[in-house]
Amino acid sequence: METQAIVDIIAGHAREVLPDLGTRSLGSADSLRELGANSIDRAEILMLTTATLGLRIPLIELAQPRNVGELAELLWERLAERGARVA
Amino acid sequence: MSPDAVVTGLGVVSAVGKGKQAFFDALLDGRQAFGVLRRPGRQLPAGDGETVAPPFIGAEIADLHLCATMPRKGLRTASLAGRAALAALHEAWHEARLDQVRPERIGLIIGGSNVQQRELVLAQAALAGEPWFIAPAYGHTFLDSDVCGLCTEAFNIRGFAYTLGAASASGQVAVLQAVEAVRAGQADVCIALGALTDLSYWELQALSSMGAMGSARFAGEPAMACRPFDRDRDGFIFGEACGAVVVERVERGAAFERAGVQPYARCLGGAVNVDGNRHPNPSLAGECLAIRRALRRAALTAAQIDYVNPHASGSRIGDETELLALRESGLAHAWLNTTKSLTGHGLAAAGAVEVVATLLQMRSGRLHPCRNLDRPLEAGWNFVGTAAQACDVEHALTVSIGFGGVNSALCWQRL
Repeated sequence: METQAIVDIIAGHAREVLPDLGTRSLGSADSLRELGANSIDRAEILMLTTATLGLRIPLIELAQPRNVGELAELLWERLAERGARVA
Repeated sequence: MSPDAVVTGLGVVSAVGKGKQAFFDALLDGRQAFGVLRRPGRQLPAGDGETVAPPFIGAEIADLHLCATMPRKGLRTASLAGRAALAALHEAWHEARLDQVRPERIGLIIGGSNVQQRELVLAQAALAGEPWFIAPAYGHTFLDSDVCGLCTEAFNIRGFAYTLGAASASGQVAVLQAVEAVRAGQADVCIALGALTDLSYWELQALSSMGAMGSARFAGEPAMACRPFDRDRDGFIFGEACGAVVVERVERGAAFERAGVQPYARCLGGAVNVDGNRHPNPSLAGECLAIRRALRRAALTAAQIDYVNPHASGSRIGDETELLALRESGLAHAWLNTTKSLTGHGLAAAGAVEVVATLLQMRSGRLHPCRNLDRPLEAGWNFVGTAAQACDVEHALTVSIGFGGVNSALCWQRL
């Protein structure tokens, strides 16, 4: 899976949790906080995203990324690590 | 002298009507909405006894439209109980024009505990075997007090807010607490809300097997099943509902003054007491005590009560006990009807919804009919018949009873 696909998954769940985003375009440079997500909203978006990816990781490990692109990169790495372990 | 407590706004949602007008029209017309329960999580799962017992029946709210001004983000995680609370509160809030009251002087008491059971079951079932992925927001939405949070955020309430549990008397005990709160000066306005009790098949099955909920007898005729005070009753029938009652403080003897707001009634007095009994069975002595204390605090004699809105759940022993209590309390002369025969039993909501029904009847001078009261338990009572009737009600008494030996009564004077 490419990181862009993960960006799209995050963006979809962000729209679900923050319905007031409407049709505004979302991309790698956006920060969830600046989009209006409080800490619970962010946790909701992260949990929905990791559930879609089937990735069980503590959300605390996803605290560092400053924008959607960095978050997608980190999730991509975790998926790759898991893939390596499974392989 | 302690200040008066008057009711300045009412809101209601129920299966027979959403909003006071639709609700009251339905009551006066004797309409019902009973049927097989269809909301997800309301029937036993396939393969688990659904072939040996008929499906659960009751009354469900068909569509719960919320005002477009409600915050969309919050609604994503709002339970059915929460959305019903917002709808009822919205109606009561605007009638009482609470935008003109300082938010710090407004309190909210939500009657009801464990009111979101069906939503919790659905949330857990959706993640069967994968609890890891439970929504983080569940960490606050599973609490009944989340309904307080939802309401106080939507309406910018800045006084106090809490839930209280008194089983099926929760709604009425919330009204009583709201009366006490404004009289004590804890707030100028206190909204009492009886929460929609969102039962899942777990609670429905237990209430049925414990003998509290009907109806094995009328499984094929749901409109016949809910029959308080009738000889053929076989238990209460569930009905979704939520009621909101705005209670305000007024100095004793002073007129209420806020432009455009017309108080319905004054709460003259009320009482709640318990029987020292954990179980569902009622107590004649306990009910008589609540009624006697409510009358005494209201400085009324039983003879002054024109109309009683009884608990009248359709319970086999509960209805018998309540009629005995009303007789022993000297209330056999008063007019009586059975709101639950039309709405079903809203459990935590019931007491608040029935205060709404009582105050609407007092204002309009019309009492709603009873359904399914074909063979009354006892002759000699002034039950309203199958049609609404005119009645000048200056004083009314409302009764709510709850599992765990809870007895409550309130006395009302029309304004």
